[in-house]
Amino acid sequence: MYSIIRPNTWVAIRLPSGVTRNILVTPNATISLGKYGSFPANFIIERPYHITFEIEDQRPDEKFSRIRIVPASELYAEIFADEESPDCSAPTADAAKSVISAEGGAEFTLVDAESGKLVTRSNGEVIDENARQTLTQDEIEELKREGNNAGKDVIAKLMLSHTALDQKTSFSLAKYKLLKTKKYIRRFQILPVDVPNLAHWQLEERDASKILDLRAEMIALVGSWGNVHYGGDSVYLEDPQATCEQGEEALAPLREDLLKGRWLVVDDTGGLLVAAVAERMGVLFPELDEDKSNLDEQTKRQRQEAEAEAEENQDGDVVMADVQDSAEKPNDGAKPKKPRSSDFEIPFSQTNTITVVHSASQPSLAFLGYWNFDAVAPSHVEHPLCRHLMCLTWLQLLKPELDTAYSTPPLTASTELLASWKPSRRGNFHRKRRRFARTKHIVEATRAGGFSGLVCASTMDPISILKHTLPLLAGGAPVSMYSPTLEPLAALADSFSVSRRTAWTSGTVPEVVVKTVEELERWEGNEQFPLNPTLLLGTSIQTSRARRWQVLPGRTHPLMTERGGTDGYVFTAWRAKPAEGKVAAKGKFKRRKLETGSAAESEAAETPIA
Amino acid sequence: MAPTLQHTVSPFLEPGPRTKPNSLAVLQLSRDNFVPVYLQEASGEHDGYVEGAVINTRYGSFPHSTLLNVPWGSQVRASKVDTGSRGRKRKRQLDEEAGCETSEPIEDENEKGNSNGADKEHGDGDEAKQLVTDASGFIHVLPPTPEIWTTSLPHRTQVVYTPDASYILHRIRARPGSTLIEAGAGSGSFTHASARAVYNGSPVEGKRQGRVFSFEFHEERYHKMKKELSDHGLDGVVTLTHRDVYAGGFLVGGKSPEADAVFLDLPAPWEALPLLSRQRPQLKEGEVGEAGAKPWVSPLHPKKSVLLCTFSPCIEQVTRTVSALRHLGWVDIEMVEIANRKLHTARDRVGLYLPVDRGVNNSAKDVEEAITKLTEIEERFRENARPKQSADGTEPAKQESKAATNGKTPMNGAALKYPWLDGRLVTRGEPEIKTHTSYLVFAVLPMVWTEEDEAVAMAKYPLGRERFVVSVMGKASMKEERREAMQQKQGNRKSRRKDRDEKLAEVEG
Ligand SMILES: C[S@@+](CC[C@H](N)C(=O)[O-])C[C@H]1O[C@@H](n2cnc3c(N)ncnc32)[C@H](O)[C@@H]1O
Repeated sequence: MYSIIRPNTWVAIRLPSGVTRNILVTPNATISLGKYGSFPANFIIERPYHITFEIEDQRPDEKFSRIRIVPASELYAEIFADEESPDCSAPTADAAKSVISAEGGAEFTLVDAESGKLVTRSNGEVIDENARQTLTQDEIEELKREGNNAGKDVIAKLMLSHTALDQKTSFSLAKYKLLKTKKYIRRFQILPVDVPNLAHWQLEERDASKILDLRAEMIALVGSWGNVHYGGDSVYLEDPQATCEQGEEALAPLREDLLKGRWLVVDDTGGLLVAAVAERMGVLFPELDEDKSNLDEQTKRQRQEAEAEAEENQDGDVVMADVQDSAEKPNDGAKPKKPRSSDFEIPFSQTNTITVVHSASQPSLAFLGYWNFDAVAPSHVEHPLCRHLMCLTWLQLLKPELDTAYSTPPLTASTELLASWKPSRRGNFHRKRRRFARTKHIVEATRAGGFSGLVCASTMDPISILKHTLPLLAGGAPVSMYSPTLEPLAALADSFSVSRRTAWTSGTVPEVVVKTVEELERWEGNEQFPLNPTLLLGTSIQTSRARRWQVLPGRTHPLMTERGGTDGYVFTAWRAKPAEGKVAAKGKFKRRKLETGSAAESEAAETPIA
Repeated sequence: MAPTLQHTVSPFLEPGPRTKPNSLAVLQLSRDNFVPVYLQEASGEHDGYVEGAVINTRYGSFPHSTLLNVPWGSQVRASKVDTGSRGRKRKRQLDEEAGCETSEPIEDENEKGNSNGADKEHGDGDEAKQLVTDASGFIHVLPPTPEIWTTSLPHRTQVVYTPDASYILHRIRARPGSTLIEAGAGSGSFTHASARAVYNGSPVEGKRQGRVFSFEFHEERYHKMKKELSDHGLDGVVTLTHRDVYAGGFLVGGKSPEADAVFLDLPAPWEALPLLSRQRPQLKEGEVGEAGAKPWVSPLHPKKSVLLCTFSPCIEQVTRTVSALRHLGWVDIEMVEIANRKLHTARDRVGLYLPVDRGVNNSAKDVEEAITKLTEIEERFRENARPKQSADGTEPAKQESKAATNGKTPMNGAALKYPWLDGRLVTRGEPEIKTHTSYLVFAVLPMVWTEEDEAVAMAKYPLGRERFVVSVMGKASMKEERREAMQQKQGNRKSRRKDRDEKLAEVEG
């Protein structure tokens, strides 16, 4: 978790209304929260996350508003008062109604105008008689426009104008306060943009269908059942040091023995699923100082200075460059450059990787942009995903020979020829060769299989996904597939039904009997057996739902409504390695002799899973 | 139980491609029946038995040697093992036990596996025999995962199951490199899920290692879990401490774990919360401060927000916990309950003319079938009412029954051929569901921000160079706001019309 707000990162701002908005925190910008006011971004850069700030009134001699930290004691002042008041548990609906109607639907927090402190009934502050005047809506607007007391003043005056205040129960008072607070108090919080926050924001404030209604409960289940976790320390293939005259033959050969901790992902949630997987594998966030242990103060300071300097040079703009060009760029950064690498160097780790198979020619992973990663044109900023995320199309996976990038041999040129070219042409030459080496590596490594798990949230038919990915999974590897609707997963589970498995292993299906275990692993599917039903174990479908509660003194209950109405389902199973030939279950508990076919009907609990 | 196991990396974290000796594996006997096993190499000189260790289940006998060094996920056939008559008797007993297995927690279970219908046994034959594959019976061998472990672990307490654990770890951002405090450890269900979440590889200089600091005050549970953690190769990730955290707090070896995530599954979380502060907790009433007390050390990461979850079954616990959290400065307090449901798929086979079998409902599948049947009955009734033509009357009856079946045979033919395609695919919930596990309270404790911190940040990012505005309001909402303001000012028909026009233009444009 980030501790402080870094410059040029995306953050979520939670507004007084409870709504969150994502913005890029850029130094020297002014951040506007619309009607709540605005403040310089430099006030929040390198300040802590989760703190509550309040926009203050502009001072007469300043052109901007300052912000202050609101201590927790102030945030909870009303609740603490309620805790102390003895009658907090005796609300009446009528009281609430009359209070609301009394002010035409407006509800308030009681604030003392002088001290800026919250006033509550129980702490016995006396309300100034002189202030008992009724304000009109126009007056409120007027006060707001003038902004001469940060909204609090308006609320205080309104509250004071409410003559019947002391007759209200604290229940109705609390309701009053809450709603009005949302409208006027200029408080906000900065939250880190991580997977839970981004998903929440997308679900509740943007378009839930873009992420297939993937709620937090589901993200958590999919990741857990997919056993997604840190897949081992990074291991790299040695640079083959290929010269520009060398072609394909100079590629570093695939080392299957090095491949470890790799997850296969099919993502139609715009990259949210990939982000969730990356978060669980520790490759979503760049490593930060506070994540390091033995970093001495001096290096820290040096780094900070370099950072600040770099920002100054950038003048607030984020410079993005193609990752491929970094090798050719003069060494102007603060970081020392390693020796020049050849075109055929594979930048990807052989462990702890995510392999995304996508159906369009480019992967659709736009959400990764919130972590400053662009899957289509990775920036030169060393993002962990640059080395741990690989993407390929279904065509590249299944029919690579039809893919141009894969099947076109790399360009070659003699050093002299290369030297005679214009830099742009030379750059193009290298880029193409690098692209070739990478594509080749990704395709080959993926086709080699042995994946540690499969995680999906896709609109494609899960049966067709599994048909092509089951052979790529290591034995015992989990399959974890999300779907916003139940039917596709039910059809999937049905293709692994006990009756199907029993028929398959009984040795009575002619197409099956003639094939070896290896051939059956790549079963093409037919009408009766869309998938080889013995390739998965423990198939199961589940759904989870979080119910949120309000916890207040004397008023604890589940929330009345919640967004994100769809449920969502997860299918889980493990990849099995079936034994060769006919396999029969122990028959001790078979209650009667059953004919082939109908034997399958007895889905007795004891029947071992085939 | 298992011999002391040596393991570089936990099979939970990096199981490798195959099963290994002296390492934890999970046998899947049937759908929800998992048996954790420490696989051992057959060592004649040690136990003197032919097959070495054998696992006997109702699905057959499985010598460890047949389970070793096979790819994970392998289906393994049963072997013919001579267990002797005593062994057989014992086995039957165990089978019986397994048959009536419940999911109830079993307190202080002595031997792992008993409750799961499997038992490690040593063949007692003296003469050497070749292993013979049994004609039937098989199991699968799976790598251990926190999900499987949770369902197969020896219960010593109530445990946190995957639907809750996964959500909690997601919400408290337990990720590779996180430092998580957990109390109490209980049966270690949540501990295993946490260990997987925070694990971030082998120690590298400068890299913060993901760690779980777990606390348990029940001595026996502490010792059992300590052993379990080392058997599972997790003691590099999990540090278990025997302590009452209400009194003793969360420091380990006097040092701060520097936690950024906290999970409390304790009867009274509010008792532990003051010790999870950033400053010295206030003394409780009646307590006397030690004279010249040492400076207080917080167990929390000083430079990070700390995310916490407490897990309590009762609402009264929640109320007290939430109140304590507020008074201790925690923010974003939220209470949540997770309801998880499993769904089963089945083929619903309904039809008067389907073969009589288990799982087949031989009643009318639709109105048409009902009508056909009723018509048939009526016909038969009329026929019977008619004066009998022959003396015995057997012939017409025979003919009739033939006619009745004749019309339906085509339907039957298909049903018999591929029963798994027959019937309607349906999903159902389970007959018994967990309607309440516990209430989950989440909260965040931001880091402390001092005047000095502010001064440093201010100096680094001075004001006065603001050049552009970043607005959180989208174009649409900015428009909306302007409109709102205008409406309030004018409130006349003209503005409303303009408003409507604008909206229309938006829709069309
Ligand atoms: C419900 S169990 C925890 C189960 C665990 N979360 C799991 O998933 O297996 C609660 C545990 O907290 C321990 N415990 C209770 N009070 C404690 C205290 N003050 N300090 C340390 N442990 C405590 C109990 O001994 C018990 O084992």
